[in-house]
Amino acid sequence: MTPALLVAGFVVIGGIGMSVVQSLGLAPLVGQARLSLDAYGANSTELVTGVGLSLAIATVSTALSCVIGLAAAVIITQGRVTGRLVAALSAITIPIPHLIGAASVGLLLSDAGILPRMLGISSSDWPDIVGGAWWVAVVFEYTWKESAFVALVVAGVLASRVARYDETAALLGASRARRLRHVVIPLARPAIIVCAMIIFVYTLGSYEVSWLLGRPYPEPLPVLAFRLFDSITLTSRPEAAAVAVVTTLISLAAVGAGMALLRRTPLWN
Amino acid sequence: MAMMVPYGQRVTPDDRTTGTRGLMRPRPVDRTVRIVVAVLLSVWFALPVVPLLLWMVADRWSFPSPLPTEWGFSGAVSAVTQGAVPAFGRSLVLGLVVAALATPLGAMAARALTKGSVPAPRLVSGILLAPLALPAFVAVMGLTVVLLRARVPGLVSVVILLVAAAIPYTVYTMRVAYAAHDMAYEEEARTLGASRWHVLWRVHLPLVAPGLARAAFLAFLVGWSDYVITVLVGGGTIITLPLLVAGAASGVGNSAVVAVLSISAILPPLLLLLLLGRFGRRYPVSNLPGSGSPRSRSSKGFL
Repeated sequence: MTPALLVAGFVVIGGIGMSVVQSLGLAPLVGQARLSLDAYGANSTELVTGVGLSLAIATVSTALSCVIGLAAAVIITQGRVTGRLVAALSAITIPIPHLIGAASVGLLLSDAGILPRMLGISSSDWPDIVGGAWWVAVVFEYTWKESAFVALVVAGVLASRVARYDETAALLGASRARRLRHVVIPLARPAIIVCAMIIFVYTLGSYEVSWLLGRPYPEPLPVLAFRLFDSITLTSRPEAAAVAVVTTLISLAAVGAGMALLRRTPLWN
Repeated sequence: MAMMVPYGQRVTPDDRTTGTRGLMRPRPVDRTVRIVVAVLLSVWFALPVVPLLLWMVADRWSFPSPLPTEWGFSGAVSAVTQGAVPAFGRSLVLGLVVAALATPLGAMAARALTKGSVPAPRLVSGILLAPLALPAFVAVMGLTVVLLRARVPGLVSVVILLVAAAIPYTVYTMRVAYAAHDMAYEEEARTLGASRWHVLWRVHLPLVAPGLARAAFLAFLVGWSDYVITVLVGGGTIITLPLLVAGAASGVGNSAVVAVLSISAILPPLLLLLLLGRFGRRYPVSNLPGSGSPRSRSSKGFL
């Protein structure tokens, strides 16, 4: 019991605590410790655009993953051959690291990628999916990986608990659409909310996909924090910590909102 | 005319019965919709892996051509010269170390939580799950100062941070495993005179082995696929497979190398997943005469 708690507690509480301390200028690499909020104001424009951009990427990726993942879960539990096919392919996606996924999506969707080659579209006519203004490739990668995660979790719930209710509703004459609307979705809701929470926090704080498939400017929060952290200017460490604190606050707010939603779900004990 | 349908089997009813029974009426439209959606989803999940498979064996692939113009293994050769083999070894060791540490830690915590011997259980499980809610780079940026001043070697710092990142998965998986675990077997063995160690090795661990395998797989995945923690803490001195992939993928013109490195990063966890599906699903009930407990069988599916 205690060792696990020590490790997790040290990393979580220490990580957040030391980020706050550094961002307030209390642990500078050189010079006097002085309490100030300078680190938060130093990159205020980048910070504000970063917050907006990261929120947008995380929200869109989460929403798309949940919709596609739910569809996949329904197919997995209802179709026989089709269900097995979708289950196998989505399970293969699960152990692929996000970085590898990003590298592969780059090879697929860039203007010299496989898709324009297969569709016979020249590089100049191909839209800027990788590194474009709309961050399409980044959202695509997140949605691809995380929809498989949603499919796995929700299919597990549907197979174990929902199947009986669904069969009963079918026997009582409910149509497919009504069963989906009134049986499957309400019963899968707690699992979907938990998945959405995990995906949102992950996509908000993940660096490698945005760095590899995004554009240099504007930067999402993790990319901004990385640049400041690696910068040679001595004042930039507190500024990186400030970005980290802002990201943490958004994550905690998202988790809080998710838990509040869960508590309002009748199925949550 | 009660119709006995064996559970899990499908019967093909004749036309007379299907006409009067709504549930048996064939629904060609529904069926088509389902097949179309399933095909679309299959393409969705499979498509992003296709470039890796093609580029892996492409020596040359000039632009408009839909297939590689020259096939070969020069990508693999240059991946090896860039140090793919030692990087693969480092990633493997990192994944195994994280799994070896995070799995017993998670199991012990989950067992204590399930037994109810923990004060403030909600707070404790909250802290154990909290690394999921904390972006990895925040933990790293906060703690590097502390770990550097305490003169903790970089590799140890990386392992500590990765174990913390893996703990939520192992705790959660083992809580599910222990929820379906019957403590009575252990008490029975103790009553019959087995020592504590004996009970642990011969009764407790064999019974939760599938759960342990799933937890260890997830913890391995955390160590195996990490990029952020290794690159920030290690400062580029610990070269793992993801670092090589990132270096190759951020450049231009080494698509074949990226593909080879990526495939070699996908294969080990995929093999483990297959092994898990094959062997880790249930405890072989036939080896335990008299204990055909349905509980030990119900814990299939990982996570």
